[in-house]
Amino acid sequence: MPKRLIGLVLVLPALAVILLLFIVPLAASVVGAFEEKNSYGLGNFTKAFELYRSDVMFTVMIVSLSTVLIGLFSIAIGGYLTLGENPRAVAILRWLYRWPMFIPFIVVGQVLRTFLAKNGLMNNMLVGAGIITPLQAASFLDWRGIVIAFVWKQTPFVTLLVAGAMASVDRGTIEAARNLGASRLRILLEILVPQVTTTLMVGLVLSFVTMMSVLSVPLMINAQSPTMITADIAFRINAYGDYGVANALGLISLAVTACVAWFYLRHSMKERA
Amino acid sequence: MDNGTFLRIAGLSAGYGATRVLERLDLDIRKGEFVALLGSSGCGKTTLLRAVAGFAKPSAGSIIVAGRDVTRLPPDRRGMAMVFQSYALWSHMTVGQNIGYGLKLKGLPRTEIAQRVGELEEMLGLTGLGSRKPAALSGGQRQRVALGRALAINPQILLLDEPLSNLDARIRLKVRHDISALQKRLGITAVHVTHDREEAMVMADRIVIMDAGRIAQQGTPEEVYNRPASPFVAAFMGAENVLELSGNVDASAVAIKAGANNHRCLLPLGGRTLESGMFEARFRAEAAELMTGDAPAGAPGQALELSGRVEAASYPGGIWRHSIRIGEAQILVDAPRPFEHGSAVRIRIPAEKLFLFNTRSAHERPHAHSLHDGRKGRVLEASET
Repeated sequence: MPKRLIGLVLVLPALAVILLLFIVPLAASVVGAFEEKNSYGLGNFTKAFELYRSDVMFTVMIVSLSTVLIGLFSIAIGGYLTLGENPRAVAILRWLYRWPMFIPFIVVGQVLRTFLAKNGLMNNMLVGAGIITPLQAASFLDWRGIVIAFVWKQTPFVTLLVAGAMASVDRGTIEAARNLGASRLRILLEILVPQVTTTLMVGLVLSFVTMMSVLSVPLMINAQSPTMITADIAFRINAYGDYGVANALGLISLAVTACVAWFYLRHSMKERA
Repeated sequence: MDNGTFLRIAGLSAGYGATRVLERLDLDIRKGEFVALLGSSGCGKTTLLRAVAGFAKPSAGSIIVAGRDVTRLPPDRRGMAMVFQSYALWSHMTVGQNIGYGLKLKGLPRTEIAQRVGELEEMLGLTGLGSRKPAALSGGQRQRVALGRALAINPQILLLDEPLSNLDARIRLKVRHDISALQKRLGITAVHVTHDREEAMVMADRIVIMDAGRIAQQGTPEEVYNRPASPFVAAFMGAENVLELSGNVDASAVAIKAGANNHRCLLPLGGRTLESGMFEARFRAEAAELMTGDAPAGAPGQALELSGRVEAASYPGGIWRHSIRIGEAQILVDAPRPFEHGSAVRIRIPAEKLFLFNTRSAHERPHAHSLHDGRKGRVLEASET
C-alpha cells in the first residue's frame, strides 16, 4: 500500500467520529430548523421569536453582564496574584480561587438555590446579624441568581488564564513603571492588562460560549419567565416534541456566540497588524 | 564623610532567603561619576544595583543619596532611574508614550510632555520614530528608547543593568561611547553593572570589581588593570597565565629563586606588598616577549625570564598567539611572528607587568576564608568573558 494511503487510513477513524458525531447532527439541526410540516421555510424562526423574543434578550443580557463581571474579577484577582506584596495573602488567594472550577454547574445551581432563596442561608445570616428584618428578606432566585452562579463558576477559569499570562509578563516592565512612580492600580491597568488582552479575550469568549449552553443553572435557579434559551429548548423538546422550534432556538444561540467569536477575531487581527 | 560623596552605600547586606548575596558592603560614589560594577555572574553586582534602586530589600546597612537616607523609600522616591537588561519597554505603547510615561505619572501637561519627549528623541537620535511601537525598532533603537525613558524624569542617578548585553557586538562598541558621552554631557551620576571587562574599562571613571558579595578591588581602569590587588582581580583583568615561583623579599626588591625553568633574578618591589616564600605569578599573554631559545639573555633585574617549548600557535588577528609548556604549566604568549611547533623558546616578562601574590601555603592572607574556596571555578568563569 502506498505511504499516502496509509496516512489516510490512520486519519479515518478520527475523521469518522467528527463526521458522525458532530457534522451530521449539526447539519441535521440546521436543516431541522428550517423544516415545516411539508416544506422548508422560516416558520420555526417566526414562532421562536414570537414566543421567546424576551428570553433571547434575557439570555444575551445575562451572559453579557456575567462576562463583564468575570472579566473585572479575573483582572482583579490576577492583578493581586502578580502585584500583591503580602506573600501570605497571595498564597491563600492562589490556593482558594481555583476551587469553583472543579464543581459542576448543577451543583453550583443547587448550592446557590439553598443559599439565595427567600428563606435561604444568606437571608438567615443577614437577619441573624440584624442587618435586615425578616420582612425585608427577598429572594435572589431570578436573573441575579443566574449571574451570581455564572460569575462564581467561570471567574476561576478566566483568572487561571489571565494570571498565567500576567506571570509570564517580563517583570522588568512592571519594575520600570514602579521605578517611574506608577501606583499598583496604574501598573495593573496601564502596564499589565494591555499586555494580556489577547489571553483575557480568549478566556472571556470561551466563558461566554460555555454560559450560553448551560441548562442546569437556569432550571435550578430561575424556572420562571423570562428564562434562558437553553431552558426553552429543553421545554420545546420535552413538552411538545417540537424539534423545529428547538432547532431554530439553537441556531439563534449559535448566531449570538458567532457574533462574539467574530468580535474576538477582528480584535486579534487588529492586534497582529 | 568625604564631601564629594553623593551616593553612599554603607554596610549593605542583602540576599534571597537564607542565601547572603552581599556582605556588609561599603561604596562611595561622587556626583557625576561613572562607576562600573564588574564581576562574573553570581558575584552580587546586580543585587547591589537592585538594592540601590529599591527593588531588593537589604537586610542590613543603608543607602544615602546627598545626605538623605533612602534605604526604606520606594523606588520612585530615590531620584534614580534604571535601564533594564531586557529594556523592559512596554510593547503596547509607542516610543513617545514609553519615553513620556514617567512625565505623565508626574501629572505634567500634555504639551510639556510632548516637548520633553521631542527633545529626548532628538538627543538620542530617535527623531521620526515617536509613533512606532517597540516591536518595529532595531535593538540599538530599543536600547535608546529605554535610556530616554529613564532620562525623561531627570534622575540624579542613572542605574544601568547590563544595558548592552543584548546588542550585536558591532553596535555595542558604538553605544558604549554614546552612553558615556551622554553621561558626561548631562553630568549625571551613573552606576553600570556589567560582566564585560572591556566595556567597564572603556566606559567607567572607576571600576569596582566584585567577588562573592564583596568588593575585590576598586580604582580607575588603569589602576585595576596594572595593579591588581589579588590573584582573582588579576585573572579577571586578563592576567590568566599562572606560575608558581618562590623568592625572598627585602625593602626594595624581590629576589626570585632559580627554578627548573627560570634563572635567579632580582626585580624591584614597585609598591607590591609581598613576603618571602611561595608566589603566584600572573601575567597577560601580550605582556610577555617571546624569543628563540638561543637569544642573548637580557639585563637581569628588569625582567623574569622563563624557558619553555612551543606547543601550538594560532592567529587570532594582529599577533600570533602561542601555547607554551613550561614544566608542568601551560601559558599563552603573544608574538608578532609565529614560532615553530616544538621549538625551544625563552619568555621575558618585564617586572612591571608581572603580578606577584603570596600563595596561601607560604602565607595565610588575613582575609582568607571560605569565600575564597572554589576560586579556581570563578577564575575560569571570569576568563570566559
